[in-house]
Amino acid sequence: MSNRSPISGCLLGLVLLCSFGLAACDSNSGEAVAAIAPAANVATPVESGQATAKDAQAQKARPESLAELDDQPLPRRKLDIQSWETDGGAKVLFVEAHELPMFDLRLTFAAGSSQDGDAPGLAMLTNAMLNEGIAGKDVTAIAEGFESLGADFGNGSFRDMAIVSLRSLSAADKREPAVQLFSQVVGQPSFPDDSLQRIKNQVLTGFEFQKQNPGKLASIEMFKLLYGKHPYAHPTEGTPESIPRIDVAQLRDFHAKAYTAGNVVIALVGDLSREEAEVLAAQVARALPLGAALPSPPVPSTPQPTHKHIDFRSNQTHLLLGQLGIARRDPDYAALYLGNQALGGGGFGTRLMEEVREKRGLTYGIYSGFSPMKTKGPFTISLQTRADMSEGTLQLVQEVVARFLKEGPTEAELERSKRQIAGSFPLSTASNADIVGQLGSIGFYDLPLNYLEDFMQQVQALSVEEVKAAMNRHLSPDGFVIVTVGPQVEQKPLPAPSEKPIEQPSSVPEH
Amino acid sequence: MTPTLRRAAALLLATIYLPLVTAADTQPTHEFFLNNGLKVIVREDHRAPVVVSQLWYKVGSSYEPPGQSGISHALEHMMFKGSSKLGAGEASRILRELGAEENAFTSDDYTAYYQVLARDRLAVAFELEADRLASLTLPAEEFAREIEVIKEERRLRTDDKPSALAYERFKAMAYPASGYHTPTIGWMVDLERMSIDDLRAWYEAWYAPNNATLVVVGDVTPGDVRTLAERYFGLIEKRPVPDAKRPLELAEPGERRLTLHVKTQVPSLMMAFNTPSLATETANPQQIYALRLIAALLDGGYSARLPQRLERGEELVTSASAWYDAYARGDSLFVLSAAPNMQKSRTLADVEAGLWQQLEQLKQTAPSPEELERVRAQVIAGLVYERDSITQQATTIGMLETVGLSWRLMDEELAALEAVTPEDIQQAARAYFTRSRLSVAHVLPEESSDE
Repeated sequence: MSNRSPISGCLLGLVLLCSFGLAACDSNSGEAVAAIAPAANVATPVESGQATAKDAQAQKARPESLAELDDQPLPRRKLDIQSWETDGGAKVLFVEAHELPMFDLRLTFAAGSSQDGDAPGLAMLTNAMLNEGIAGKDVTAIAEGFESLGADFGNGSFRDMAIVSLRSLSAADKREPAVQLFSQVVGQPSFPDDSLQRIKNQVLTGFEFQKQNPGKLASIEMFKLLYGKHPYAHPTEGTPESIPRIDVAQLRDFHAKAYTAGNVVIALVGDLSREEAEVLAAQVARALPLGAALPSPPVPSTPQPTHKHIDFRSNQTHLLLGQLGIARRDPDYAALYLGNQALGGGGFGTRLMEEVREKRGLTYGIYSGFSPMKTKGPFTISLQTRADMSEGTLQLVQEVVARFLKEGPTEAELERSKRQIAGSFPLSTASNADIVGQLGSIGFYDLPLNYLEDFMQQVQALSVEEVKAAMNRHLSPDGFVIVTVGPQVEQKPLPAPSEKPIEQPSSVPEH
Repeated sequence: MTPTLRRAAALLLATIYLPLVTAADTQPTHEFFLNNGLKVIVREDHRAPVVVSQLWYKVGSSYEPPGQSGISHALEHMMFKGSSKLGAGEASRILRELGAEENAFTSDDYTAYYQVLARDRLAVAFELEADRLASLTLPAEEFAREIEVIKEERRLRTDDKPSALAYERFKAMAYPASGYHTPTIGWMVDLERMSIDDLRAWYEAWYAPNNATLVVVGDVTPGDVRTLAERYFGLIEKRPVPDAKRPLELAEPGERRLTLHVKTQVPSLMMAFNTPSLATETANPQQIYALRLIAALLDGGYSARLPQRLERGEELVTSASAWYDAYARGDSLFVLSAAPNMQKSRTLADVEAGLWQQLEQLKQTAPSPEELERVRAQVIAGLVYERDSITQQATTIGMLETVGLSWRLMDEELAALEAVTPEDIQQAARAYFTRSRLSVAHVLPEESSDE
C-alpha cells in the first residue's frame, strides 16, 4: 500500500499478464479502499456485435444450465459483525473466522490528505514514517520484528483516510509479539530525522516518475480543477514544493492529533475469540494518543465546466471527465451505484463500454464511477484512445452520457445490473481480506452493521425513474470538467459503429 | 560461520517449524482425468458458498513462431466473440448477470480463462467454457474490430509505458535462443499482419481437452464437479496437439548490454542472469530452491538486503528489486532492477557496482541462521495467507500444472525450502551470478547521453 517503490511496482506489473479486461478502475479517484458495495471487477464483453450472430441466433441452442438454475436466494458466508468501543473511544468491528489460523487487523484513521492543512503531503509522510522507528528499534529492527514472525505490516494514505494494517498468524506466540510491535509502531513512532530525509527523497523521485505517467498527470489536474481551494484538491503525496519543507515536528503534531483512539476504527477478522479480540483491540487503542475525532472536510462548491489539455508525447490520448459526486452517506448512494453499473461501472456490458470499445474498437477500456467520500467525492469517466481520434471519442462519450441522463437506463439494463449486484453479493464477503475491507468502510463511514443487507434491498427496490432522477440530481450533461493528456495531431473521423444489437430478453432467473 | 554452527543452523531450520506445518494443514485436493484427456483438479474450500473455475491451456507466447507474435493473446480476446450456443459477447453478458467475475489472461507459458461465482452456478461456467473450447465461431468482422482494441492495449501497456517498453526489449535480449524472447502482447508489425485464418489455425492446433487443465477451488465436492465436468466437457473429442518443446536457453550466452533511451525522467537499471527453472533443472532442484531463497534474502521484505543496505544504508537507490521465477516451463531468469538515488547524485554505474557487491557477498559469505529463519517464517506464513483467496489457490495449481510440474509442489514447497542449506545458497550464487550469463540494460531519458 505504500507508494514509495515505483520500480518494483513497475517490474511486478511487467512479469504479470496480458489480460483481456482491466481488473479495476484507474486509480484516478480518491479512496481506493472505500468501495463497500461488491467490487465490480467483472469483465465481460457485451451483447454487442451480434448483428452477425443475429440470424444464427434463432437456431442456436440455449445454454441448458441456465434453465436449470433455481430461484432460491443465494447463500453467502455468515457475517456476524460484533461491535464495541474501547476505552479512549476507538470503535471496533469484529468478525470471528476460525477456518484459517490467521487474522487481519486494519486501523482506519480520519487522517488522510484532507487534513494536511497548508502542508500538502503531511498526512502521507506521517503514515509512511510510522514504521521507521520506535524507542529502541530502528526501521530495520522493526521490519525484522514483523518478518521474523511472518507478519505483514501495511500502510497507506488517501484523501479521507490513513490505513495501518497487520496480517499475522493467530497462534499466541506469533500474535502477541506481532500485536505488541504493531501497537508501538502506530502509537509511539519516533519519526527519526534521517528516515524522513530518505523518504522525502524517494517521494521527490516519485514525482519524476509521475511525469512519464499521463494517467497520473490527468488525475492530478482533475482534482485541482474539481476542488479548487478545497482540501481534496491537492495530491495525497504532496507536491515538489511542499514536501521538502515538512519537518519532524509537524509529523509529531499531526500524529498527536490524528492518530488518536477517538479518530480510529479498528476492524478485525480472523481466528480469535471475542475475548481475545477485546484484549487485542484494547491493547492497540491504549497505545494510541488520546483525542477526539477530527472534523470532516467542508462541502466543496461546484466547479466551472472546463476543458484543459496537457501536451504529452505519447501514442494515446488519456481522457478524463469529472464532476462532483456524492458523500458516502448520501441517501442516493444505492441509486447512483446501480445507475453507474449500467452506464460504465460494471466493466464490460455497460453503455460506455459497448459504444466505445465493442462497437467501435476505440479503446481497451472505459470506466465510470462515483468515489463517495466523507463529503462529495468525484464522479469520473476515464479512457485512453488513439490520439488521432481523441476529439471524436470525447464527443461520443459526452453524447452517451447525455443520452443516459436524459432517458435513464432501460428496464433491461436496470434488471441486469440488479441481478449482477445480487449475484456478486456472496463474492463480497468470501475471504477474510474481503470482510476486513467491508468492516473498515462500515465503521469509517458510520454505516449500520446490517448495511450490506440494507444496500442489497435498496438496490433491488429501485425503479428506472428513481435511478434516472437520482443521476440527474447529481450529474449534468454540461457540467463536466475535462482533462486530456496526449499529443496534438490531426484528427480523423470515428469509424462507423457495428450494427446495434437486438435487446435480448434476460435468460437468468431473478433472485 | 564455523562448520559446527552451520550444521546447527541447518538442524534448527529443519525442526523449528514443525508445529506450524500442522497448523497449515493442506486442504483436500483431488485430481482425475476425463476420457478425452482433460485433467481436472478440485480443491475444497468450504468457508464461503463461492467457487472459482479456471481452464488453463498449454499455449502462450513462448509457443509462437516468428511473425506470429501475439497470436495466443489475440485468440484469448476472440474467445469472447461467440461459439455454437453463444453470440459474440453473450457468454460474458450471461456471466455478468449472474454476478460472476470473469476474465482471462495470457502469458509466455499459458492461456487461462476463469469465472468466480456463487457455487450453485458452477454449471453455467462449465457449459459456457466447454462451448468455446469445442466450437469457437471466430467471425472475421469481430476480429477486424478486436485487433484494433488489442493495438490500443499495446499502446496503453507497452508503447506509452517506458518501463514496460524497456523490459520488453530487455527480455528479447536476455533470451537469445527460446520463445521467451517473444512479448505476449505481440510486436506491432505482427499485430498489423495477423489474420482470422491464423487465429483459426492456432485455435485448432492447441485448444483440445487433452491440452488443458480444469481447476476448481471452493465450496464444492469432487463428486459434484466430476458429474458436471463429464456432462459439459466429456463429449468434446480428444485431438492430437503439436509436440511442444520446452523453451531451453544457452546456459552461458555471454555478457550482453543494452542502452535504451525512452520517454522517462528517471534512469533505471536492469540485470538478469540466465538460469534454469524447476522444470529444467531436474538433476539438482536444490539449486532452484536456493535461488528462490536468494531472491527472498535480497528483496523478501522491508528488512531484506536490498532495501536495508542499498536503499536505506548506502542510499544508493530509491528502489530496488530482485525476482526469480522458478515455475517456468523452460529456462528462466534471475532479475534485478533498481533506480539510482538522484538526490544523492548516484549513477547507473554506481548502482550496477552496488548490486554486484551484494551478489559477491552471497558467494563469499553464507547467510546467518537468523536471516534464513526470517525468510522461511515469511514463506510459512505466506502459505497460510494464500489460502484466504480461492483464486490465488486455483492460480497456483493451474500454473504449476501448465508448466509441466505438479500441483503437489505447492504443498511440498515448505519442506523443499527447509532442506536448503547456507552452502547451497553460496553454491547457487557462484554458479549463476556470472558475467557469461548476464544481460544488463541501462534505461535513460531520451535527451541525455549515457551515464
